[in-house]
Amino acid sequence: MKESEAREILREYRESGIRRSDEVVEIGEPLLSSLESRGWGNEVWLIYEQLYIAALDCNRMDVVGECIGVLSRRFPGSTRVKKLDGQYLEATGDYEAAMDVYDEILEAEPADTFCRKRIVAIHLANNRIGDAIRELNEYLKQFQSDHEAWMELSALYIREYEYGKAAFCMEELILSNPHHHLYHQRYAEIKYTQGGIENTEVARKHFANAVKLNAGNMRALYGLYLASTGLAGSSKVSAKSKKDNSKYATWAAKKIAEMYAEVGSRAQPVESVTAMLESLQVNSL
Amino acid sequence: MGDDLLLDSSIRFWVVLPIVFVTFLVGIIRHHVAILLHADKKIDLQQVVDSQALIRSRMLRENGKYLPKQAFLMRKHYFNDEESGFFKKQKRKAAPAKNPMTDPSMMTDMMKGNMTNVLPMIIIGGWINWAFSGFVATKVPFPLTLRFKPMLQRGIDLASLDASWVSSASWYFLNVFGLRSVYTLVLGADNEADPSRALQEQMTGAAMTMPQDPNKAFKAEWESLEITSHSYALESVEDELLTQTPYIEDFCVKEKYQ
Repeated sequence: MKESEAREILREYRESGIRRSDEVVEIGEPLLSSLESRGWGNEVWLIYEQLYIAALDCNRMDVVGECIGVLSRRFPGSTRVKKLDGQYLEATGDYEAAMDVYDEILEAEPADTFCRKRIVAIHLANNRIGDAIRELNEYLKQFQSDHEAWMELSALYIREYEYGKAAFCMEELILSNPHHHLYHQRYAEIKYTQGGIENTEVARKHFANAVKLNAGNMRALYGLYLASTGLAGSSKVSAKSKKDNSKYATWAAKKIAEMYAEVGSRAQPVESVTAMLESLQVNSL
Repeated sequence: MGDDLLLDSSIRFWVVLPIVFVTFLVGIIRHHVAILLHADKKIDLQQVVDSQALIRSRMLRENGKYLPKQAFLMRKHYFNDEESGFFKKQKRKAAPAKNPMTDPSMMTDMMKGNMTNVLPMIIIGGWINWAFSGFVATKVPFPLTLRFKPMLQRGIDLASLDASWVSSASWYFLNVFGLRSVYTLVLGADNEADPSRALQEQMTGAAMTMPQDPNKAFKAEWESLEITSHSYALESVEDELLTQTPYIEDFCVKEKYQ
């Protein structure tokens, strides 16, 4: 591959955050030997950094060693290079040392988000979910609009079966982007899992919203069907509510059957799907 | 008289081109000097915390109607509650308003900005007026009114000369602003050689970083959040969803649910 092509591809991956590490190492390694002499200017250091992280992903410690040598010679005492050191320590499993490095950086630059997230990642790697949750909470107390972090916290709470708190995190995500159908769907799923009439009603609403935002969202359609069926079959709801819910359930079932029919004969025959839907029952709500 | 002036062609070589060169080179030098003098801006954690809180509150105001009422009220309480609300509690940590005259770091930033941008302009402007005055340098290709004459024809005292004929000083200014795109080509975007960008930054600078007084911002946000009410957007979303499709006539209520 020509060098200019390689450079273009690497730049594209850098700018759009694509993480195809094996490809990066494959393209970048032949450039390593003469990178500085090519006259590409300051882009060279970015390429070194990119190659470094990709090599960590692929466990290519030889490439890692070369890159870090060049970078630390050029930028001695740089915080950015120190972060790379920390990641190397994480990659080799030396979590204590990595933690120390990140704590040091945080003392010097308390507003650094990258290190805090790495600390959470270290806790997760050691399967200390409780610690990870605690750190993430501390982080979010200060950086309240970091949606990536809310997403992660929601996933962690789900792991710990704390559905109420997971729902709270999903609400934050919905606030940040209220027209994203997947957020509504996930939120609805959490609410549905929590159970209870009120939660199922909220779940039904959000499933419906997800379908409204994206008519092809099968999961949300199934969710809508289940939530409405559950509510319609429950003894604790009013008659009107029963009627409404069965209306929604029927509509959802019909939609699901249609979607399967559209996909064609390779998918499950439509009749078995409708039969299955009809026999679905929620025993208690 | 205005259209047919024939200028000495040595003006082209000895005036027009040198001015272009000089402006361009000075711009490049300014860029590198600015990079040398550029001090790392230390991010203040408190500022970041405050601005993030404001962003979150704004999101709540704008998109809260997509959440269940309980969730919205919970968050509103977190921000606005009389005793424990975020916007109320933070009041105690009042930072004194950063007056640009007294705050040292801002002073130095302003001085540096002024130095790198204004000083070269003054120097070169002066040199041009000393070296290249008293004659017409070039003609702008569009007609101008007489009002522009004193501005563009410094040093030329011909009352009947068309305003399109300009002196070298105005050619210099034309260059300063015109070479902006050339700088972008040569130095890459976000270069420091751009005086108009610096002017723009001075005007919008206050809006980008935290406003100098976080308390005022908090108060404003508190008020806006107070008056926001929760009109549940998902109230009848299922019905909306059903009526979107053309299958209304196919509704049938299953017997076993009644």
